[in-house]
Amino acid sequence: MTLDIETLVDLYRDMWLIRAFELGLEREFKKGNVPGMLHTGVGQEATQAALAAHLKATDCFFPDHRCHGINALAQEKYQGDGERIMAELFGRATGVCSGKGGSLHSANPKVGNFGDNAVEGSYMATVLGVALAWQMRKEPNVACCIIGDGTVGRGEFHESLNMAAIWKLPVLYACVNNGYAISMPVGKGHASADIVDLARGYGMPCVIVDGNDIELAYAEVQKAIEHIRAGNGPYFLEFKTWRWQGLFSGEFRPPEEVKYWKEDHDPIKLARAKIIDASDLTAADIDRIEAEVKEEIERWIDFAKSSPMPDPAKATANVYVDWAVTA
Amino acid sequence: MTDSSIRTRTYGQALNEALDLAMGRDESVFLLGEVIGEMGGDFGVTRGLWTKYGAERVRDTPLSEAAIVGATVGAAMVGMRPVAEIMFADFLGECYDQLVNNAAKMHYMFDGQFKASIVVRTACGGGFGGGPHHSQSVEGWFLNVPGLVIVAPATPVDAKGLLIASIEDDNPILFLEHKALYRVKGDVPEGYYTTPLGKAVVAREGKDVTVVATMKMVHEALAAANELAGEGIDVEVVDLRTIRPYDAETVLASVRKTGRAVVANEAPKIGGLAGELSATIGEECFRDLKAPVIRVAGLDTPIPFSLVLEKYILPGKEQIVAGIRSVMK
Repeated sequence: MTLDIETLVDLYRDMWLIRAFELGLEREFKKGNVPGMLHTGVGQEATQAALAAHLKATDCFFPDHRCHGINALAQEKYQGDGERIMAELFGRATGVCSGKGGSLHSANPKVGNFGDNAVEGSYMATVLGVALAWQMRKEPNVACCIIGDGTVGRGEFHESLNMAAIWKLPVLYACVNNGYAISMPVGKGHASADIVDLARGYGMPCVIVDGNDIELAYAEVQKAIEHIRAGNGPYFLEFKTWRWQGLFSGEFRPPEEVKYWKEDHDPIKLARAKIIDASDLTAADIDRIEAEVKEEIERWIDFAKSSPMPDPAKATANVYVDWAVTA
Repeated sequence: MTDSSIRTRTYGQALNEALDLAMGRDESVFLLGEVIGEMGGDFGVTRGLWTKYGAERVRDTPLSEAAIVGATVGAAMVGMRPVAEIMFADFLGECYDQLVNNAAKMHYMFDGQFKASIVVRTACGGGFGGGPHHSQSVEGWFLNVPGLVIVAPATPVDAKGLLIASIEDDNPILFLEHKALYRVKGDVPEGYYTTPLGKAVVAREGKDVTVVATMKMVHEALAAANELAGEGIDVEVVDLRTIRPYDAETVLASVRKTGRAVVANEAPKIGGLAGELSATIGEECFRDLKAPVIRVAGLDTPIPFSLVLEKYILPGKEQIVAGIRSVMK
């Protein structure tokens, strides 16, 4: 036990918020209330909670497509209206992008959320420019790029790590290795199942972290961000984790693997056991926290569902800056 | 335009002046690309700027086109005004996703929260034996991309004014520079000025037929007009200057006046700018037209290496003259 109990409980609340958000969203998706596609981050909560805990609003993160959770945490932490992330996923006018972005393109620069790009890994190039601008202007911010293991197959992965390394850019690469790119096991899709093996050649610190252990994740993110903020250049973290959802839903994975990750190594169960073990808090106390958060998420869902749809005429707005689109 | 004095400058020098003046005026302007630093770029457009502004603002990059363009977008997201150089337009395939899915959509999909205020300069066009991967006219690749601006100067004076205007503009701009024009000379005012984006210019007034063209084809069209003037055919040449969004008003006004239109474009005819302009003229000016609109464009082939082969497939003055004669029948 390295974390004080208050921090651990806060992180637990954040992880549970992500899970409740995703499960609530999935329920509404199945009812047909959420348009488009849905990729949830259930099982990967610890990584997102750890990153959200250390990134400031003046830093930035490029979320991947399973990052509703960190988007909501940042929105809630810095603007107190996490429900606007939910509303965006419902395609409503009250969403952070007024319904134009949805699940795969939610952004809000005021909270450091620089937006997902649904062409996985494209923002590995974008993050370079943010970091470069901050370096040129001597602003001590960290540009974080959250990627999956599948993204490593993109050329931008290599272009990005190379450029960040030669220019010593303040970039945190947070690779969420959940074992599968769509349904391709990581060891089949890449020359190594450990992504750090591919990153190490670029000469930056590369660390494998148990992405389901919130204490470890929190500590390693802290170390990485201190390194970057001190001007030492980029840093690569590989979080070993597992997603509960298939890319679309439920493709086959071995039962023993499912059991290990869902029952024996679930980030939320692990953290819950730690809290009970290390404090006076009881299971009932934690249940109470969970119920409070769940209630809040249901309020967000109600907000989203009762929010107005965008005005259809807004579909032609903001194509260009200061230039109207005429049909 | 300011009242500054006029000098003779090449198209390449005019672009260099534009970068110099923009960097001198605004610290958020910086350049990145392959060998643009001490070497001054493959076509010399950034020559001298590395010495004047330093390696930080005139930044040499690895051969990583996606990262170059991606980095410009990221820097623009936090308020910079980066200008990237992609050595040959043919290489835009390497950063197509960054331009099309990232730069062009960012302002829209995040509903105005970010501006991709970038300029991507690139050398396009054939005629010098560059072969299939150093000669293409690529505007058609990007014509179908809402959110992107495509600028294509034909003259030194416009090269300078349009580049400064592009750097000042908040939209993502693909800035096409035709390789055959880098050494073309013309009058260029000293000092800082802008030429408006989205505005075509009538490069030559005439009453019988309108030729709409961009970049090198403007010069070919002017040569065709001079040749036909001797036969009593009075040709008007419209230089589009901005390809997307283009100035339909000026094009249509010219065609309504002359009643005949030839659209000249160096790229292959299928699916490109020539077809787009021709369709718009057909839709808007059908009753004013005395003859069908003619497209003068490249043959539907890749660009071959041997100069004899290349000359065969690329359009020029002769093809424009033939096109004009055809609509004058």
